[in-house]
Amino acid sequence: MTEPVRRVKYMDLPRQFADGEVARRVAEEFSRCQFILGPQVAAFEARFARLCGTAHAVGLNSGTDALCLALRALGVEPGEEVITVPNSFVATAGAIVMAGGRPVFVDVNAEYLMDPALLEDAITPRTRAIIPVHLTGAPADMDAVGAVAARHRLPVIEDAAQAVGASIGSRRVGSMGAAGAFSLFPLKNLGVAGDGGMLTTGSGEIADRVRLLRHHGLRNRDEAETWGCNSRLDTLQAIVGDAVLDGVERVAETRNRHAAFYDRALATLAPRVVVPPRRAGVSQVFHTYVVQVEARERLMPFLESCGVETKIHYPIPIHLQKAAQPLGYKRGSFPACEAQSARILSLPIHEYLTEDDLQYVVARLTEFYYR
Amino acid sequence: MRVPYSYLKEQFADSEAILRDIKGLLEATQYTLGPAVAQFEAAFARLCGARFAVGVGTGTDALFLSLKALGVGPGDEVITAANTFIATAGAIVAAGARPAFVDAAEDFNIDPAGIERAITPRTRAIMPVHYAGQPAKMGAILPIAAAHGLPVVEDACQAIGAAIDGRLVSSFGVAAGFSLHPLKNLNVWGDGGVIVTGSEEMDATLRLLRNHGLRGRDAVEVFGYNSRLDTLQAIVGNHLIKDVEAITAARIGNALALDAGLAPLAPRVRIPARRAGERHVFHLYMVEAEDRDRLLAHLLARGVEAKIHYPVPLHLQPAGRRLGYREGDFPEAERQARRIITLPVHQHLSREQVDYMIEAVTDFFRTGAPR
Repeated sequence: MTEPVRRVKYMDLPRQFADGEVARRVAEEFSRCQFILGPQVAAFEARFARLCGTAHAVGLNSGTDALCLALRALGVEPGEEVITVPNSFVATAGAIVMAGGRPVFVDVNAEYLMDPALLEDAITPRTRAIIPVHLTGAPADMDAVGAVAARHRLPVIEDAAQAVGASIGSRRVGSMGAAGAFSLFPLKNLGVAGDGGMLTTGSGEIADRVRLLRHHGLRNRDEAETWGCNSRLDTLQAIVGDAVLDGVERVAETRNRHAAFYDRALATLAPRVVVPPRRAGVSQVFHTYVVQVEARERLMPFLESCGVETKIHYPIPIHLQKAAQPLGYKRGSFPACEAQSARILSLPIHEYLTEDDLQYVVARLTEFYYR
Repeated sequence: MRVPYSYLKEQFADSEAILRDIKGLLEATQYTLGPAVAQFEAAFARLCGARFAVGVGTGTDALFLSLKALGVGPGDEVITAANTFIATAGAIVAAGARPAFVDAAEDFNIDPAGIERAITPRTRAIMPVHYAGQPAKMGAILPIAAAHGLPVVEDACQAIGAAIDGRLVSSFGVAAGFSLHPLKNLNVWGDGGVIVTGSEEMDATLRLLRNHGLRGRDAVEVFGYNSRLDTLQAIVGNHLIKDVEAITAARIGNALALDAGLAPLAPRVRIPARRAGERHVFHLYMVEAEDRDRLLAHLLARGVEAKIHYPVPLHLQPAGRRLGYREGDFPEAERQARRIITLPVHQHLSREQVDYMIEAVTDFFRTGAPR
């Protein structure tokens, strides 16, 4: 007996603002006409800082800019190296290049996260900073990364673009390094209606520096202390973000519940389907739920034909992209990342899924492997 | 009477139609590079009589991305005006290059003879600024650029609709950067920018660079940036672009009235020469005045919100002095910086407000303001 096709979308953005609340707030607040760095930006920054447990948060134009400006604030000079992972979204490396640095990659562990055991070997006299990525919404091993960084007196910038609200013990991501970089891209757990980003830091000096850089280096209307850029979170997007922030803990709870469901239900399909590993004491937020599967090239179209939308984050590791050719890496440089990139698959995990949706996804996976 | 500098509350007093479209976007959710962006780009290109327009995050980014598309990087020099908004030079520095400043001519615009003298073997591009909305002397600049084989990127951030003998700005260089900042003649509800180009190759490169260097979803051709005009802002732009001709005409009308009213105050007030065939769109109405600082105080006390664009030339900013410039390097820009004053000229001024400003300036010079 075949079940009727059910549409399980990867993400359901139209549901997010369906109640009209955000449109109402925008209509109400826009009339102040303080479109650039209006009071709503500062209010949203303050709430974001509280959420992350940091003293400061600075609203920016994108998560990419948050990484780039963190590096510029730390004074990365042309030709200096910044260590990160090859399995991130390309913007992590792009931000390093944008800041004038050179990306140096280290391979990842079974959790898709920076392998701290390999970090030491990547450090050279030219290394200027380390950017672990909290990929999928799972925090990197900050204790181990931090220990290596401390030994070499290198600042750590957390790429928390996918991980708002995740924590290790009581420490939230964005509060464990010199700075944290967040994306407010629409598909994120805390997304706005366009591009936006946030930098968190405990350092008043870094916060001040980034506030200068995002606004042309201007100390006041007329005095340019440093050359800067223009990367300000729009007031309108801060209004949207502030409304979305109300629900961000609930979103993470729902996604965790869905992840737990998948974990249990998919265990029977091991080893053909491998669920994402968990670490004790760590709270993830499941921006993505990434499994490793056999026969992905056939599974994906099968699921698509059943109405289940899946994605791959990401099919081509950064070091194998055409853009990375000048960096001199080749296939085989990062075997764990490369092996994972051929097997990973992101299942729908968003907060609007029902248990029926999840059951349907599991049933289709089971059907694929047992038919 | 009060003559405020900002007019946004008047401009957006009735914004039902825009808010309705934004509400529609919140439901439709194509927040990033949605159809409204392509529609706005097409309308903007038509407005400029150009083949291509690319919506980006800011006017600063429009200049920065144009330089990156030309391959400008570390070790290169880009020639620009010493008297411009800081972002012109900030964009050059962000691209990795060094700004090489040139003095102003008597009309506040870059002096072409100074450009010729500033060219070195490291010069990679020339970035004239259509300052205040007045076209730079492109008839003199283009032959210099051609003789040295240098590309021209127009800083048209303040100059939408400006023209020389009917030829619109953006049609002179290989690319032109425009700003959509809320106080620009064509504005949006936050930050936004546009690059106009006649080159298909530039257009393709810029589209890559603004979106992480991504060709399709997964292939990264070059390391790029995140600088996309928000769909939400494109929606606002689509409504306002219909008004730009009327806004420009109103500003020109106000400027002519100010010119006529202030002319009898010569030489204590100096109005720059209005050259035949030039269409100045008066983003700023700037004149030189004796005793400028006291005049400014007098006008502010009379309720006229005059400003100075800008009191410190870029080479004398803390950021500029670190490039090795010092007082005396650009005498005309320095002299002007002590004498220039900007009067409100926006499209929401009444004839009474314009007359009141003329009267306030006249009073100052006829009777002398209290010391």
